Amino acid sequence: MTMATLERRAVLGLGGALAAGVTLAPGMTLLAAPAERTEASAGRRWAMLIDTNKCTPNCTSCLSACRKENNVPLFGEASRDIHWIRKVEIRDKEQRRPTVNLPVLCNHCENPPCVHVCPTEASFVRKDGIVLVDEHRCIGCRYCMIACPYKARSLVYHETKRGPESNPEVPIRSKGVVEKCTFCVHRLDNGQMPACVEACQGEGKGAMLFGDLNDPRSEIAKRLHTVATKTIRADLGLKPRVYYQGL
Amino acid sequence: MIDEFAAIKGDSQGYWKLLLGMGALLMLGGLAFIYIEVNGHGVTGMNNTVVWGLPHIFAISLLVMASGSLNLGSMSTIFAVKHFKQFGRFSAFLAIVMLAGGLAVLVLDLGRPDRMLLVMMHMNFRSMFTWNVFLYSGFTVLCFLYLWSMFQYPQFTKVAGSAAFAWRFVLTTGTGSIFGVIHAREVFHSAITAPTFVAISLTSGTALSILLLLTTFRLTERELDLRLLHALRNALIFFLLLVLYLLIVEKFTKFYSPAFYDVESWILTGSYAWLYWGGVVLLGVVGPLLILFNSHWGNQIGGIALASVMVVVGLFCFVGFVLIAGQAYPMNMFPGYEMSSVFQDGMEGSYTPTLWELMLGLGGVGVSGVLYLLGIRFFRLLPKKATAPQGWDVAWHP
Repeated sequence: MTMATLERRAVLGLGGALAAGVTLAPGMTLLAAPAERTEASAGRRWAMLIDTNKCTPNCTSCLSACRKENNVPLFGEASRDIHWIRKVEIRDKEQRRPTVNLPVLCNHCENPPCVHVCPTEASFVRKDGIVLVDEHRCIGCRYCMIACPYKARSLVYHETKRGPESNPEVPIRSKGVVEKCTFCVHRLDNGQMPACVEACQGEGKGAMLFGDLNDPRSEIAKRLHTVATKTIRADLGLKPRVYYQGL
Repeated sequence: MIDEFAAIKGDSQGYWKLLLGMGALLMLGGLAFIYIEVNGHGVTGMNNTVVWGLPHIFAISLLVMASGSLNLGSMSTIFAVKHFKQFGRFSAFLAIVMLAGGLAVLVLDLGRPDRMLLVMMHMNFRSMFTWNVFLYSGFTVLCFLYLWSMFQYPQFTKVAGSAAFAWRFVLTTGTGSIFGVIHAREVFHSAITAPTFVAISLTSGTALSILLLLTTFRLTERELDLRLLHALRNALIFFLLLVLYLLIVEKFTKFYSPAFYDVESWILTGSYAWLYWGGVVLLGVVGPLLILFNSHWGNQIGGIALASVMVVVGLFCFVGFVLIAGQAYPMNMFPGYEMSSVFQDGMEGSYTPTLWELMLGLGGVGVSGVLYLLGIRFFRLLPKKATAPQGWDVAWHP
């Protein structure tokens, strides 16, 4: 093998490597993207309908199910506890309408302000409309918490540990990172309902309904066409996907 | 008119004490960062309602002053006030060091500061934070070029100074827009929030420059012409009136609409009204104006210095008010309803900063202080003697 051949090979090899690099680089990221992103279907639009007439003040089955399913701990500090879903009581200031109890969670908006303000694209919208946080990309700047009008996000203020009762299917909550409801995306991808919905339909009063808005045969699509519903702060133009009946 | 520039000797006990003091603040900041990083933000006073606290007040105040620190340079380069040319180097350098201090606190208060590089790798151009990354780095580069041109290539000073001047307005608009664009927060969602930040950068930057020039010149026994100080006083008065105007216009606009009665009444009479009236209005604007318009105090070094201190404290109050009151005001999720929950919905957020946060914030001041002290010792940033032309005087005195 002559030196000229070697050099030519080296040049060709280098050129090939560069070409391959240039071709592949745009598709590569240093951090692996979550597998769910590729499994989601752009044809689906997951949504939730909550019938406030059925939601009773003392029932917290959706809250407990969410905590258990998603390894959401309670620190015992009211201002710092993590709440992916919470029960809210609302009272008409003029006392003309009855007091209503309802769960509030991430509204998985079509125009999510949390995603708009996130500097690292850690908050993103999955193909099926679910708003997620890539906890490996979140830098903990908390701008999304400032921007969310539903107070649906929580910063993890303390270290959390996996215990014997932790759900092995879901990571434990990560200190210094902002997290929120995922619509139990891991369950959806396995063909199951979100844990809160399942609990509400089982132990609870059946106030929650979940499904695909794009499927006209789905129960939620039919109900949204037949009953009067509202979304929270519809005036902000965010197009939330959590609907309320009886508000 | 422009005397020779000279670095300070920096061999006095006073200099070393100041440097050690600022270095100690920097170390405290470093310690606080490590402690918060190891233990999580649970050791701060922040919570899930007030998610930005004292470190952000320090960071944003330093960033706002960074932009305003360029005032003196811009006055000579853009507005051809020739006797301010001697402060051009000081001005551009001060802008850089204030920016460094502010950014240090901002980055070190992240929940995951170890992932800071991700901001460079995954950019979301809809985010004001992403824009601010470019604005801050661009501003630093332009200030360096401006400084460099003043040192070595005076023919480029006009271009570099003009670019830095334009950039600083965009920069502070970007800082103010972090708050102004957020629709969910009624206290600070306003088109006028960003211009108010720009105006306050003008007042606080000028006030900081006055204080640093007075202190540096006095401690190094250099002469500072009182007429120059009077010119800065007049600029400060003009900027203060601009802030007052913007504050009044905002309140007038908001109170014109019944939709804002609740939030505006809360601002003026609620839990943080003391900070608004006492800190923002009285200490930050009206008090300094009363001093500077006074025919005795307004012409005295002591009076101008006191007014400048008040303006700088007023900036911290303004940023503190925007941040803390802005987050503490309950979010109006169900207009017409009162709400309550275990997540403190419908309640005012509470926030009591901890010592760690104060240390982290002061660490930023330490960064700026150390850099400033080293800068004036190793570079020819300040004139040996700052004078105005003979026979010249400012157009107006109180």
